[in-house]
Amino acid sequence: MTETAALQPDRLLSVRTLFGIDSDLEVPAFGERDEHVPEIDAVYRFNPDVTLAILAGFIRDRRVMVQGLHGTGKSTHIEQVAARLNWPCVRVNLDGHISRLDLVGKDAVVLRDGQQVTEFQEGIVPWALQRPVALVFDEYDAGRPDVMFVIQRVLERDGKFTLMDQNRVLSPHPYFRLFATANTVGLGNTNGLYHGAQRLNHAQIDRWNIVASLNYLPPAEEAAIVLARVPSLAAARGPGDADSRLVDAMVAVAGLTRNGFAAGDLSTLMSPRTVITWAENIEIFRDPALAFRLSFVNKCDEAERPVVAEYFQRCFDRELEESHRRAADAR
Amino acid sequence: MADTQARVRQQEQIEELCAASIRALAGDADLHFRGRRLHRRGAPLPLFAPHLHPSLDSDDFDSFRGAADGLALRLAHSDPALHRRLAPADEIERALFDLLEQFRVEALVPAAMPGVRRNLRHRHAAWSLGYHHAGRTDSARGLLVYTVAQVCRARVTGDPIVEETEDLLEATRAALGPLIGSALAHLRRARADQAAYAVHALAIAHAIAELLKADGEDPDADAERLDSDLAAARSVFGLIIEHDGAANERFATAVSGASRLLGDSADGYRVYTTAYDREHAATALVRPDALDAFRERLDRRVAAHGVNIAKLARELRALLAQPRENGWAGGQEEGLIDGRRLAQLVASPAERRLFRRERIEPIPDCALTFLVDCSGSMKQHIEPVAVLLDGFARALDEAGIANEILGFTTGAWNGGRAQRDWIRAGRPAHPGRLNEACHIVFKPAHLGWRRARRGIAALLKNDLFREGIDGEAIDWACARLKAQEAERRLLLVVSDGSPTDSATGLANDPHYLDHHLRMVTERHEAIGSVEIFGVGVGLDLSPYYRRSHVLDLAGTVSNQMFREVLDLLGGRHRR
Repeated sequence: MTETAALQPDRLLSVRTLFGIDSDLEVPAFGERDEHVPEIDAVYRFNPDVTLAILAGFIRDRRVMVQGLHGTGKSTHIEQVAARLNWPCVRVNLDGHISRLDLVGKDAVVLRDGQQVTEFQEGIVPWALQRPVALVFDEYDAGRPDVMFVIQRVLERDGKFTLMDQNRVLSPHPYFRLFATANTVGLGNTNGLYHGAQRLNHAQIDRWNIVASLNYLPPAEEAAIVLARVPSLAAARGPGDADSRLVDAMVAVAGLTRNGFAAGDLSTLMSPRTVITWAENIEIFRDPALAFRLSFVNKCDEAERPVVAEYFQRCFDRELEESHRRAADAR
Repeated sequence: MADTQARVRQQEQIEELCAASIRALAGDADLHFRGRRLHRRGAPLPLFAPHLHPSLDSDDFDSFRGAADGLALRLAHSDPALHRRLAPADEIERALFDLLEQFRVEALVPAAMPGVRRNLRHRHAAWSLGYHHAGRTDSARGLLVYTVAQVCRARVTGDPIVEETEDLLEATRAALGPLIGSALAHLRRARADQAAYAVHALAIAHAIAELLKADGEDPDADAERLDSDLAAARSVFGLIIEHDGAANERFATAVSGASRLLGDSADGYRVYTTAYDREHAATALVRPDALDAFRERLDRRVAAHGVNIAKLARELRALLAQPRENGWAGGQEEGLIDGRRLAQLVASPAERRLFRRERIEPIPDCALTFLVDCSGSMKQHIEPVAVLLDGFARALDEAGIANEILGFTTGAWNGGRAQRDWIRAGRPAHPGRLNEACHIVFKPAHLGWRRARRGIAALLKNDLFREGIDGEAIDWACARLKAQEAERRLLLVVSDGSPTDSATGLANDPHYLDHHLRMVTERHEAIGSVEIFGVGVGLDLSPYYRRSHVLDLAGTVSNQMFREVLDLLGGRHRR
């Protein structure tokens, strides 16, 4: 682990060449890849606004929170930026049971020279704080608000961290970075979609310098993402004219489910991740309708399935098993 | 009867599905069908075009889909302000212009939605054939309108002309060529630009309207014949012309006025005598065997309707519950030591979850009372009202919310004994309320639905319904509510009219009782300990209640009605 601590960014890379964003920014990067640097996903597509926000976090040491509905690739986005900078990145999944001791550290009994001794073991926060590591708190709003106060001081730039158990004060490493992702903006579960999301303390939300919002993409971009993930789909002909693409119809269905969710007709929606899963399942089952049912329809409430079937009919010009028309014909 | 019920249910299902599709396609959450007409935020939308309004009798589900898609595209792609500004003044021209605009948006189906295109095409074909088979193409003007619709739609959308009538169009089509040919040629290219398209659409509408109105050219045509032809042409758009201009008042608004007598008098509202006022339990007013029969009748209605009680209870709980401390949550990392966990500490010293805390849970600490107006005119609405209240009583019980069903009427018609006393006393001026107030408890709060179900059925006893003295009844219901232990107290007044009591009205002045009702609701709203809502049965009660909603009980009770009451409670009601 000490090797990580010794690392320094040793080069400046151009944002334009690295991410294809029209900006003159240059971002510090590491020369060698540490074990904590995430794998590069070559087909990952960056959202310009969110990428710039994350880069601002890396360049200027800002605390960046990325908020967005599920399946939009918030955490992956941070990871992929880090991967391209060779910046070590550690993801911590917060949940309701992460306690203060997990984050700060605790006394543990260890064996040393055949003797049992009690020794302080650092938690993830002091560990990361002393290293050039981008620490990502995933599902930040799932963490218990009282526990999250542990990081209150770290959130300030140059905020020192006091280990009370050890009477030590830690200064953050100059290349320590802190990120968070959340489904909500700390107002709790307002749309019934995110059970377990906590209402966050706004004194803490206030300490995040940048809040980037990653919501659903324009259909063309989303289709490009799906195709990058499942290239075999590019050749698949859509249900419409000769030059229509299957992926466009799929993204259109997803768009309708999101509108339907916003209108309260559905209680589930298709995230980009669902569309990708659907595309992958088409590779397995060869039938878009069957794959759709297995990847999304069966996740929906039974009462809502006819509505989903309507959406599907609009985009695919085919009836699902669940559609009202089928039921009416059967009568 | 069962058949109509089934049809209504089918209509409801179709409308729900279509409305959901429209919301998703247009990306607007606030669109709903009310009375078969699409409403946005409670206001009815224009009818747009004749083919967008299929009927269950003659059209299949695909037609409904097509119409829904047409509406959605219209909402998504047409700017209503621009459309209104450009629309011509003449009604036939305007109707044609409306239709052409609808064809324009139908040509704008996204490439990724072939199903939408097929639905639209299907709907157009179904509408066209319906028009044709109804014999409307037999008259020259009917055929002209038909041809224009066919040719223009084919041009704009690129869809083929309905095959069955293609030959029929030939002659008219050829004749139209020189008149509208050039405008027609531009339609498709301009379809993405509403303003540019409108120029050509207006030209076509104008030319056709001139043709329809031209009467001097045919010397043989007598006036009668011309009228019937024009009527045929008009009937295509009849729907639009009739409805668009008309006011969208579906419900009357309660008539209310001020009472001089009450406003000027120093001692306020008077009651001549309370000697004959009564409060009854509903079960005491009806013979037990009649009560059983009523209950059976109500049960049949409820069963036929199929209310989803569990869902309603969930929604009520979500609406009315507040986070409260309730019991203990074990397995916590800090808090108070949980004695039961100490053994675990011995067995597994590393375990840190030994504590317990008070658990915060959403608890509905709330009391809700329904106060039903049992005046004579309510008789005709009482069955659906009873179904509604019965459903709510069950759901509220399930959600753990205390609820009461109360009713108010009078003990007699025309003042009864109170008026007799007044006459005997020599008719003193300003006697105040002059009747026997009768308050009925259908379901007291301390009885659950199961114990009180026979009492609820007493709502169906017709001869309880006499006159209504609302103000005092609200005071009474509020007093009962305040006696209950609850954080929040809600009172829903179900009524179909203004307070009525003929004797009081005659002896004082006509608005004596409704002035008092307004005073009472204002007083309670000012105090704020009870929230009062008005549920109007086919009557807008907004003059009396700050929060009110009109229910249309003319048809059957639908789930929509429960939702509307919920929306009212949640402060989201649309009117």
